[in-house]
Amino acid sequence: MKKYRNFNFICGAVLTGFCLLIVLTGLIRTPYDTTAMSVADRLSAPSFAHWMGCDNYGRDILSRVMEGMRNTVWIALLTVAIGTLSGVVIGAVCGYFGGLLDDILMRVNDVLFSFPSILLALVIISLLGTGSLNVTLALGIAFIPSFARIVRSEVKKQSALEYVESARLMGAGHLRVIFVHILPNILPVLLSSVMIGFNNAVLAEAGLSYLGVGVQPPQASLGRMLSEAQSYLFTAPWYAIFPGLMIVLMVLGFALLAEGMTEA
Amino acid sequence: MLLECKDFGIEFHDHDRPERAVEGVSFSLDAGEILGIVGESGSGKSLTALAIAGLLPRKKLKKEGEILFDGQDVLRMDRKALRELQGDEICMIFQEPMTALNPTMRIGLQVEEALRIHHREMDAAARRERALSCLADVELPDPEQVYESYPHQLSGGMRQRVMIAAAMVGGPQLLIADEPTTALDVTVQAQIIKLLQKINRKEKVAILFISHDLSLIRQISHRVLVMQNGRLVEQGEVEEIFEHPCKDYTKQLLSAIPRVEL
Ligand SMILES: Nc1ncnc2c1ncn2[C@@H]1O[C@H](COP(=O)(O)OP(=O)(O)O)[C@@H](O)[C@H]1O
Ligand SMILES: [Mg+2]
Repeated sequence: MKKYRNFNFICGAVLTGFCLLIVLTGLIRTPYDTTAMSVADRLSAPSFAHWMGCDNYGRDILSRVMEGMRNTVWIALLTVAIGTLSGVVIGAVCGYFGGLLDDILMRVNDVLFSFPSILLALVIISLLGTGSLNVTLALGIAFIPSFARIVRSEVKKQSALEYVESARLMGAGHLRVIFVHILPNILPVLLSSVMIGFNNAVLAEAGLSYLGVGVQPPQASLGRMLSEAQSYLFTAPWYAIFPGLMIVLMVLGFALLAEGMTEA
Repeated sequence: MLLECKDFGIEFHDHDRPERAVEGVSFSLDAGEILGIVGESGSGKSLTALAIAGLLPRKKLKKEGEILFDGQDVLRMDRKALRELQGDEICMIFQEPMTALNPTMRIGLQVEEALRIHHREMDAAARRERALSCLADVELPDPEQVYESYPHQLSGGMRQRVMIAAAMVGGPQLLIADEPTTALDVTVQAQIIKLLQKINRKEKVAILFISHDLSLIRQISHRVLVMQNGRLVEQGEVEEIFEHPCKDYTKQLLSAIPRVEL
């Protein structure tokens, strides 16, 4: 492997590591019960007892940020998994075989691709209903076209190379040629688009939850916290600042990491 | 007779009007023989080789005549039967050993590919042993190390040897070598030619050796085909063709060889 010793990569790794640490800690335990309300602490400022302060119900914001990040990461991972797996299969088949199937699937793809994926996700959610599972599905489906397009063009490029011909000449079947011979060669490209896709998924999930169609209360979500914090922007700015900051850190960290890896 | 090509032709239908690339090519190849095909660039040598290897695209082109390998017509065989021949009975090496190897796969795995496809009964240890012995047969120093390497770690000559090892691993009857030395420098060229001759003797594999280089063809072939514009101009024993060419085209080709006096 190459050495990723550049500035972007190190910053990205530190930020991502920090976020990951928060998520993992939240998996084991949170400082307070994420749904425990306490009237006395309503909108209280950050203190030693509540590092990030409390929200309008007197719930500990740090605990809810931890849970929100966990939900976000989980949804983003599943989204990217759905998008990548389907995208790889569709893109590989289209890119390798070409022909009529390719024409049809890619026209459909172009139509879907012309909608912003968040809009597409909203359409799918309006069909499926709200909730985190449906958001995951909707975003996953909305992400398929971009992955399919990238994989298709890469597979098409690789298919023309001689090593593919020599693999076929060895008597390898189509599936073997695609998955054993070609796919490892598009992994670097796939990896960077997966990382960018992950970031888009984080932002899209936050956006959908902000609109109220994503993660449903009492489950915590960074996007939803932001939308609730709007009413208290001046009385309790920390309510908006911390969830917002965590989204920024997560996305920035991952973007830097991706950047650093392509640079190396 | 291992291979018999009868009145073979190719017509492309991928542009506005049909384009004829190969026409009326007939020849045969015996088991264990080295047959050279010589001709200028664009004369249809590669297309003929690809047809024999069963690698012609299935669409947008018309195939004529027949190419019988062990009595079976490779032009019209179904895909499954064809795949059974490919890699096991018929193998091919290409001009560019750089691009013909998969950059992300270890050499060992690539040499074993034919075994993994055609000899499912072999286990990993047996495959490895066979691959190592093939790497040694093509006179690579330190086969163990080559086995673990990636293509970019090897020189052009070594990569071409790896290609030959990968082709020979299943013990094929026919090895097609399409300009196998064109991308290599002269000293390496000579080594590869020697190696192919040795393999031909030892393994009794027939070789279809394609080149635009007459001196190479003369050195390695038993018999020669001369092609021009997709047609067979002349064929015969190598010395016969070189000493007494019948056709003007062959004479012109021969007179174009630079003579190096030593
Ligand atoms: N897709 C195609 N459509 C039309 N003509 C083609 C196509 N592919 C190859 N040809 C023609 O076939 C001829 C033979 O090519 P080739 O077998 O590669 O020659 P060689 O290997 O002897 O240099 C070339 O002149 C080329 O113009
Ligand atoms: Mg050629």
